[in-house]
Amino acid sequence: MNKLISLTKRNIKVYFSDKKMFFTSLITPIILLVLYVTFLSGVFKDSFINAFPEGFKYTDKLLNSLVGGQLISSLLAVSCITVAFTSNLLMVQDKAEKTIKDINITPISKFTIGLSYFVSTFISTFIVNFTVTIVCFIYAHFFGTYMNINDMLNIVLDLLLLTLFGTSLSSVINFNLSTQGQVSAVGTIISAGYGFICGAYMPISSFGKGLQKVISFLPGTYGTSLLRNHALSSSFREMRNQHLPEELIDGFKKAFDCKIKLLNNYVSINSMYLIVTGFTLLFIVIFIFMNKHKKRS
Amino acid sequence: MNNIIKIDKVSKSYGSLKAVNNLSFLVKEGEFFSFLGINGAGKSTTINMICGELSKDFGSIEVCGEEVDGNNTSLKEKIGVVFQDSLLDKSLSVYDNLKIKASLYNITGKDFLDRYEELSKLFNLKEIEKQPISKLSGGQRRRVDIARAIIHNPSILILDEPTTGLDPGTRKSIWKVLNNLRKEKNLTIFLTTHYMEEAADSDYIVILDKGTTIAEGTPLELKNKYASDTVYIYNVDEENIKKLDKSYKKVRDGFKIIVKDLKEATDLIIKNKDLFKDYEVIKGKMDDVFLNATGYELEDE
Ligand SMILES: Nc1ncnc2c1ncn2[C@@H]1O[C@H](COP(=O)(O)OP(=O)(O)OP(=O)(O)O)[C@@H](O)[C@H]1O
Ligand SMILES: [Mg+2]
Repeated sequence: MNKLISLTKRNIKVYFSDKKMFFTSLITPIILLVLYVTFLSGVFKDSFINAFPEGFKYTDKLLNSLVGGQLISSLLAVSCITVAFTSNLLMVQDKAEKTIKDINITPISKFTIGLSYFVSTFISTFIVNFTVTIVCFIYAHFFGTYMNINDMLNIVLDLLLLTLFGTSLSSVINFNLSTQGQVSAVGTIISAGYGFICGAYMPISSFGKGLQKVISFLPGTYGTSLLRNHALSSSFREMRNQHLPEELIDGFKKAFDCKIKLLNNYVSINSMYLIVTGFTLLFIVIFIFMNKHKKRS
Repeated sequence: MNNIIKIDKVSKSYGSLKAVNNLSFLVKEGEFFSFLGINGAGKSTTINMICGELSKDFGSIEVCGEEVDGNNTSLKEKIGVVFQDSLLDKSLSVYDNLKIKASLYNITGKDFLDRYEELSKLFNLKEIEKQPISKLSGGQRRRVDIARAIIHNPSILILDEPTTGLDPGTRKSIWKVLNNLRKEKNLTIFLTTHYMEEAADSDYIVILDKGTTIAEGTPLELKNKYASDTVYIYNVDEENIKKLDKSYKKVRDGFKIIVKDLKEATDLIIKNKDLFKDYEVIKGKMDDVFLNATGYELEDE
């Protein structure tokens, strides 16, 4: 147990002190942030304004709370996965640079080593994302939001769940990689591709039908949707308070991926939790299995 | 003395390349053992198998009477390894690196601080302890590597080219520490090196080529077998040298005569007392042993 803790600490320390690794993992969230500030928030604002009924007197606060919710959920959905992947790449980098040899020769079991990568990925990713979340909450506070403590806690819970999901997924995918080339390949693909797939740049609902269908089979999509629901629900509550029609709110929900169809049915919030948790557990089981059956070269 | 490492008919291939081929040898407890061979002979591969990092294809490897399979935790407590390439965490400080590795041997808290203090004195770590490994010079890094390898007081220390690239002063100080450890703790040293003068002090030497032993013995045995002695004679006429009926070579101010051993040299000199006024006899060196055993031609100096 002590060995697990100190190896986990080592992994976390290496991740945060290896500047290259740390900054690559922040590239996607930063690109997203820049896009929002320069461009996306305007696009979303316009589409919100157009969707409001004729004559409806919207306030800046309502607009900002919607845009803010959209930003927070996109940012967290992306960084839970990309940061998990990049911090988990330490497992591969240790093999590529042979650093793992110096750990393997100590009296520690292979299983503990595997577990330490898992735990450290989870912790590093959570630290980064929790920081991002706090910054987002502060930002929202100043720009206008209707979020209460409950909404915030829900977001943090999603964050935990999605971080665990990202950790287990990346652990399984990275397990058999062993070269520096693979490290950069996986890093680049995930950073470049995931933001798009999870609808951070453009809502999934605006994609073509075929692509939407494919994306609806990816379990991560429901993690994103959970975040969308919890980051936007306070705004929807406020819209109801301002007597906007329920159909309009429902339209917003569909347009911004709070409601996602799987095989022609909308997936409930509880089912979303179930899907994400189920796949996380599945990946963990696979990861444990792979660790138990690992052979020496 | 007990055999602490027993390598018996071990083979290891990378694809079609036989890196280690039916290799057998013994290392005795407390011995200073040298494992020599040209680049690519299979030394590091053998070391990786001894410390359980690499699996073998055939044969048996016993360390302290236990067959190595990569999971022997009790064995791992007994072996310390300085790998050919430094494998510490480059972005972490010297102190953190040692602390982390110590904890994996269950050396923590006060035990670690005490041990760290000892090693810090031995290897002069105080002034570099806060620096990340990436900022150290080659010699500083090697000192940390060795400190890391012995942090848990192993009984076998495996050194894969520990002094390559270090200046003579640093090499000397490292060897001073290692020799003291040998004396004080009966440490078995398993050394790989390309510096033959380092191997010359060892108790036993195995020379490897293409994954198999091509020569083994004590330095003296090997010198007798593979290194011929040389007699240099100066300020004489070539006519007189020709009369000796030995093969010779012209060198600056004189001639060089290769003799089988010291006895031959002595006989030669006594028989030709008048000729040998200004001369020297050079005993064969480990360099010659290595070059002859591995089949390299001896170059003229
Ligand atoms: N991981 C590997 N994959 C494929 N071939 C390898 C691998 N490691 C070593 N080899 C090959 O095995 C042979 C033996 O390598 P090894 O590293 O054991 O040599 P060495 O005696 O330590 O050499 P050096 O003095 O250069 O360190 C070499 O031909 C090398 O190319
Ligand atoms: Mg080598």
